[in-house]
Amino acid sequence: MANAVIMPKAGITVESCIIGNWEKKVGDAVKVGDILFTYETDKASFECESTAEGTLLEIFFEDGDEVPCLMNVCAVGNPGEDCSALRPDGAQGAQEEAVAAPVEEVKKEAAPAAIAPTVSADGKTAVSPRAKKLAERAGVDATLATPTGPNGRIIERDVRELMENPVAAKAAEVAAAPAAAVPEQEYEDVKFSGIRRAISKSMHTSLSTMAQLTHNTSFDATAILAYRKLLKASEGECSGITLGDIVLYAVSRTLLNHPDLNAHMLDDNNIRLFKHVNLGVAVDTPRGLMVPTIFNADQKSLLEISKEVKELAAQCREGNISPDKLSGGTFTVSNLGNMGVESFTPVINPPQTGILGVCGTIERVKKGKDGEIKIYPAMGLSLTYDHRAVDGTPAARFQKELGYNLENFTMLLAK
Amino acid sequence: MPKSLFVDPVETLAPGKITFKDIPVNVYNKTIKDERKRYSDDDLVRIYRDITVLREFESMLSLIKTQGVYNGIETTYPGPAHLSVGQEAAAVGQAYLLDQNDFSFGSHRSHSEILAKALSCIHKLSEQELMTIMEGFLGGSALRATEKLGKVDDVKELAIRFILYGTLSEIFARETGFHKGMGGSMHAFFLPFGIYPNNAIVGGSAAIATGAALFKKVNGKQGIVVCNSGDGSMARGPVWEAMNFAAMDQFHTLWESHQGGMPILYNVFNNSYGMGDQTRGETMGYDMLARIGSGVSPTQFHAERVNGFNPLAVIDAMERKLEILRKGEGPVMLDTLTYRYSGHSVSDQNAYRTKEEIEAWQAIDPIITYRKGLVEAGVTGDSDLEAILANTAERMTMICKAASDVEVSPYVDFKKDSMVVERMMFSNEKVEKFDDREPEVNMPLNEVPAYKKLKEKERCPVVDGKPVSKMKLFNLRDAMSEVIYDRFYEDPTLIAYGEDCRDWGGAFAVYRGMMDAFPHCRLFNSPIAEAAIVGTAVGYALSGGRALVELMYADFIGCAGDEIFNQMSKWQAMSAGILKMPVVLRVSVGSKYGAQHSQDWTALCAHIPGLKVCFPATPWEAKGLMESALKGTDPVVFFESQRIYDVGEQFHEGGVPAERYEIEFGDTNKVRDGKDVTILTIGAALYRAMDAAKQLSEKYGMEADVINIHSLVPLDYTKIIESVKKTGRVVLVSDACARGSFLNDVAKNITELCFDDLDAPPVVVGARNWITPPFEFDEYFFPQAGWIIDAIHEKLVPLPGHTVENGCTEAEALRRAQKGV
Repeated sequence: MANAVIMPKAGITVESCIIGNWEKKVGDAVKVGDILFTYETDKASFECESTAEGTLLEIFFEDGDEVPCLMNVCAVGNPGEDCSALRPDGAQGAQEEAVAAPVEEVKKEAAPAAIAPTVSADGKTAVSPRAKKLAERAGVDATLATPTGPNGRIIERDVRELMENPVAAKAAEVAAAPAAAVPEQEYEDVKFSGIRRAISKSMHTSLSTMAQLTHNTSFDATAILAYRKLLKASEGECSGITLGDIVLYAVSRTLLNHPDLNAHMLDDNNIRLFKHVNLGVAVDTPRGLMVPTIFNADQKSLLEISKEVKELAAQCREGNISPDKLSGGTFTVSNLGNMGVESFTPVINPPQTGILGVCGTIERVKKGKDGEIKIYPAMGLSLTYDHRAVDGTPAARFQKELGYNLENFTMLLAK
Repeated sequence: MPKSLFVDPVETLAPGKITFKDIPVNVYNKTIKDERKRYSDDDLVRIYRDITVLREFESMLSLIKTQGVYNGIETTYPGPAHLSVGQEAAAVGQAYLLDQNDFSFGSHRSHSEILAKALSCIHKLSEQELMTIMEGFLGGSALRATEKLGKVDDVKELAIRFILYGTLSEIFARETGFHKGMGGSMHAFFLPFGIYPNNAIVGGSAAIATGAALFKKVNGKQGIVVCNSGDGSMARGPVWEAMNFAAMDQFHTLWESHQGGMPILYNVFNNSYGMGDQTRGETMGYDMLARIGSGVSPTQFHAERVNGFNPLAVIDAMERKLEILRKGEGPVMLDTLTYRYSGHSVSDQNAYRTKEEIEAWQAIDPIITYRKGLVEAGVTGDSDLEAILANTAERMTMICKAASDVEVSPYVDFKKDSMVVERMMFSNEKVEKFDDREPEVNMPLNEVPAYKKLKEKERCPVVDGKPVSKMKLFNLRDAMSEVIYDRFYEDPTLIAYGEDCRDWGGAFAVYRGMMDAFPHCRLFNSPIAEAAIVGTAVGYALSGGRALVELMYADFIGCAGDEIFNQMSKWQAMSAGILKMPVVLRVSVGSKYGAQHSQDWTALCAHIPGLKVCFPATPWEAKGLMESALKGTDPVVFFESQRIYDVGEQFHEGGVPAERYEIEFGDTNKVRDGKDVTILTIGAALYRAMDAAKQLSEKYGMEADVINIHSLVPLDYTKIIESVKKTGRVVLVSDACARGSFLNDVAKNITELCFDDLDAPPVVVGARNWITPPFEFDEYFFPQAGWIIDAIHEKLVPLPGHTVENGCTEAEALRRAQKGV
């Protein structure tokens, strides 16, 4: 019976070897231990000794062929014996295919899932240097971005998201914030939204860097209440004009005579006085206070102001207001009148120098010309001003002129 | 493992005994009178003069160190002063027969050896030769400085002043020193007289001197090598390694040419102390040092013990030893007895010896006894000898005055030239060949079977869309072999050795088939002696040849710590650029072999100034860097990884070019383009980083820029910065343990250079700070593709939908640091 001689395994990691030279040829007599052929790994050369005795019947691989270890290389037996059974299947070229694995097809998976916002352990918001640099170049406030970096860090992609989609970025975060809260606690830690953070920062800066004080006055609202009644009764767009709109109109006109209050403090030594009035209007939204701007309010009619305020407030509530409209104010009006507030201390929106709080109307009495006690509706006005820019008397003078204009509103309209 | 040497069990196991020859001990017993036929009167007097020159030099330094004044010259010197007061006669005796073709190496206590050898050379050289040497050294600047000391017509006297002034101003760290003050007391030398570096590491010269002897032997150069050391060095492993290396049987049994023993004399100036420990009687067991040779070679190193207090006894012994060396029967050994009166250094309180002992030796001080002998034998009158003494003191005073005066001998001005040392760190030259003779080879290159086979391999991993089988692919190992073959046929001085480099072809087959091409004198197996392998390569290179040596596993760097970190790295700058160090040290980072065979120690090497360090990870890189390393003149630690010897070139277009090319050290290799994150890699981690890059692209739509740092020192950050500025994010990966990894240095530099462009701090992903566990647990220890993605998710940019498997939170990082793991 013919015997096969196999390619030895020259090492644990060796999977195939190359045949160097055949020392014997077909028909040669071989004894056990005779060198049949040389073979090599990538590291060394070896000699393959015959493990069978007889005649070399067939050689399955030639010089230079690569043969997997333990595969039959040749057959040794009696002359004339059939050794086809020992022949490795498809010996020639088989090993080439074995290693020729198909090139792996690159498969793209579905679009990446939405990016979840992240939260830092200490509640502080960090901005990566790269994100900071990008925000500065793009003129956006990086701190308004929703962080998605490690540890609640605002990273480049967050600023890009803010630039492309200023409000969506915030909305996403508002939705995500509760997720950070720990259930079954006696309290809930809620992460500030971008707007909340902006307010927090701005208000704290305001009170910690300025010399603010507030004057409270009131004026006789009889005239504007009457005028408002008249408008309400009218049909058409003027019917929507509110008391607040009327105050805005009066402020926009009165301010022109008091440039120190229609101004920005640039630093401790410089103030910028504006020629027109860009009126900031505080708007309450589900996400917090927002202050859109009516640009050039002093050049707009009462109706125009009224319509613009409604439009801006709606945009703020819906969250689709352009960031451009959230800055640039030169003076701000905050109206808490319909909440029954009688007087308060509005906080200036830096770098402005003043803010007017509009309070509710209460009934007061005053002595008429004939000495008779008369009940009249008194509307409160709380003016906070930056004493660095404006002194008490000029501020009071503004408030007095404003009250006069409101008490004589139809006359102001005529101007 | 040469097959030609049969390990015969019958002979090996046959009974018998080992016999020793007698070792002579202080056998010289002649008087000066007896020797007057052998020496002229002038010679005998000159020996005395030389002893006085050495004694005055050391006494001067002693006074300056202890009292701040010498002969009225007030000066201080803060550096080391390991003085050899008392040992001068031995040094003069040794140098007497040596000339400038004989190299001498020394220790930290070698002022006397340097000066004695110089005085001997000055005596032997003609005035013309001396002028040529002095004019040629450092462009004549040292000679000009010497001439300022005053006019002298006698060229020999000028040369004595030259050597004293150059040595002293070197010790005083002056720019006018022989090596601009960069070597100093323990590293002074003067190559034109065959005075090679001394060494501040005890026994540090042993392997280096042996390498110099190898250079002389392989390149057929004249002269012998003297390796001087103290008895304190005789316990050091590298000294034994060096002596064994020099005694290898193969020089006689296997070498086809340059047969015979190594031309080296191991001379020990045996003063009985290693600093304060007493060698004989306390810290050694040899009883008499000359016995050591018998433990290394059947020749017993022809060792003998000689009285170093008698210069004529030393000359007599040297004469016999030189004859043995010239016959090719080296190495030889001398146990030269002497005694140091001064302390080990000036802070020495002599707590370890008695006053009586010192005085007993001083009573037979050669400066007294030899002088007495000269007068008694009628060689000269006492007044003449007194005049010599006065002349020596006068000369020394003049030299000291000049060397200590900052106007005459200024310091290197670091304020004016802040790059003065920087320029000396690397020589940065390209040398095709260090000798013009034909390289010694066995056959033409194009007939070498292994080289022919290499040339037939496929240079691209994919041909016609089909992957090339592993056996036919031109891989990283082949890329290095190809260059080594080419360079062997160009530079006749190039030799390669290391453990199993020849018959085995190197443990990882880089030298496969080279034994067919090169005789033993160019490619041989070294003993398993890493200190000797690297140390001899250092000596071979600084003598003027090019050496390629291998440590098999990078983990063995520790066994050759001094040779790599103190010797190979420092001699170029310590010689102010006079010495070159064309040594390429191959070290292979293992895998599968556990904790002592798997470490990437690039950081250790990169930390040491003066070494170039590279770690190619692709065949294209390996070929270009090897070509560059084997043409350069700087020491290179060439890291390889056993994980990737088989890889083909997957990144360079067209595979590995068949033609020659060099990759400049400093360059980096960008292998993948992306805009979202930069991945920097060192070593085999490149391939896992590429896996990570693929996953990032497929799963997260994120494209990685991948750059392999194949040259760690030097490193050009240009491409890295460009990439980080683009992506803003960077993760650095290698198989080195993360703590202290070289990548931390890269990360720090990126942070400084690109801070405003970073979206997150650079993150280093390294191996854990553990021992390397068995191969079965590789994935828990070495960085994997998943670790890279986890690091990106945790530290750089959270990836939507990614779940961390091998992350490390900040708290965990702190915990690990606190535990030291």
